[in-house]
Amino acid sequence: MNLYLSQVMAIIRKDFVTEFKTRELFSSMFVFAVLVMLIFIFSINLSVVKANQVGPGVLWVAILFAGTLGLNRSFTLEKENGCLQGLMLAPVDRSAIFFGKMLSNLAFLLIMEAFLLPVFMIFFNVELGSHWAPLLAVILMGTLGFSALGTLLSSLSSNLKTREIMLPILLYPLMVPIAIGSVRLTGQILDGKSLADMMNWVGLILCFDIIFISASIMTIDHILEE
Amino acid sequence: MIDSKPSPNPGHAIRVRGIRKHFGHLEALRGVDFELKKGEFLSLFGPNGAGKTTLIRILSALARPSSGTATVAGYDVMEADPEMRREIGVISHASFLYADLSPLENIRFYATMYGIENAETRAVEVIDEVGLKPRMHDRVRTFSRGMLQRLSIARAIVHNPSILFLDEPYTGLDQHASEILKDQLQALHTDQRTILMTTHDFSRGLEMCDRVAVMVRGKLALWESAEQVDPAGFERLYLETVEREGKN
Repeated sequence: MNLYLSQVMAIIRKDFVTEFKTRELFSSMFVFAVLVMLIFIFSINLSVVKANQVGPGVLWVAILFAGTLGLNRSFTLEKENGCLQGLMLAPVDRSAIFFGKMLSNLAFLLIMEAFLLPVFMIFFNVELGSHWAPLLAVILMGTLGFSALGTLLSSLSSNLKTREIMLPILLYPLMVPIAIGSVRLTGQILDGKSLADMMNWVGLILCFDIIFISASIMTIDHILEE
Repeated sequence: MIDSKPSPNPGHAIRVRGIRKHFGHLEALRGVDFELKKGEFLSLFGPNGAGKTTLIRILSALARPSSGTATVAGYDVMEADPEMRREIGVISHASFLYADLSPLENIRFYATMYGIENAETRAVEVIDEVGLKPRMHDRVRTFSRGMLQRLSIARAIVHNPSILFLDEPYTGLDQHASEILKDQLQALHTDQRTILMTTHDFSRGLEMCDRVAVMVRGKLALWESAEQVDPAGFERLYLETVEREGKN
């Protein structure tokens, strides 16, 4: 178990060191997310529409679109110079590769979201007040499912020539339940409701998080083979 | 050539029986049989598409055979036992190295993956062995092909494997880099490692090996001990073998 954990940690550390040196992933994800928000801001008349009604949708669309950039890069990096083969040669459980990549994707997304949230609050003139904690919990739950499914599909699409196109085509339809749940929860939190009033949506997101992680563990062996 | 059933016999480093591999309708391997004793060096020649890389992928448990059996270091390749993975190292024309990391970061990463304690110390040790210690903090992206190949050796031996698979290691190297690589392979062979090398370079392939094989269209068409092969006449023998087997 110790070896398993150290292998997972080594993959995360390797991804962080690579990102620290190249600064490719975070900057492109963040700039893209801000641009998505700007486009929406210019196309929505906030004096007519309430920010709490459209803001959550815009926030999650920005997260999903920008996150897809990072997920696309995730396994492409492993394919350069045949690095994934090098990993597969080592006595490492395939699920450790999945968890390492998933957790580093999750961390990158959460860091990007930590910078994006203040931008969102400024653009939509949103006051979070005492709703910080439930909003962060929703973002964490939504991003967990997104990174789990995204990592799995990224490993699948990385073998394809059209991977940049295939990942969103595969990812977005499957993300619908988590995306809808996250948008609804974010909206209700901004309206001042407590998480206890929204347990159905919380349950739905958690269920899909578990389904995506379990399905990934069950299938990653076959996806990474040949 | 082969006269006994496969078993996890520690006397044989590699034992291959009737290995076949299909990719759809294409038959990449059409029944390969051979044995390699511990410490032996096999040079495997063959034209492009003969199945050499496929054979190495199967023996290193990166691909599954369609039929047949193979044991490597006594382990069935179909089971891809983690212990078997600890016994093998692979050097290919792809370096398996992260271009934006330094040699130290790359080799330390692989050392951790193999569960080596003091991964950093071991990484420095093998980087020093291949003569890249002065550049161990530079990005791998800035390395020449020859330096990459030397670093690939460090990656492949970081866990001290007893068996090495070398898939066309001389590809893209200039004369000087080839000479350095040859010296390092010589040192690895002297350490009693079993080595299976595929190559198109006759002189490099013949100068170190104990056994010579030629693979044509997914089958071993020639299997000789190195002493029985005349290096001067090998090119003709190779071409005749390829032509003969190509017609079958």
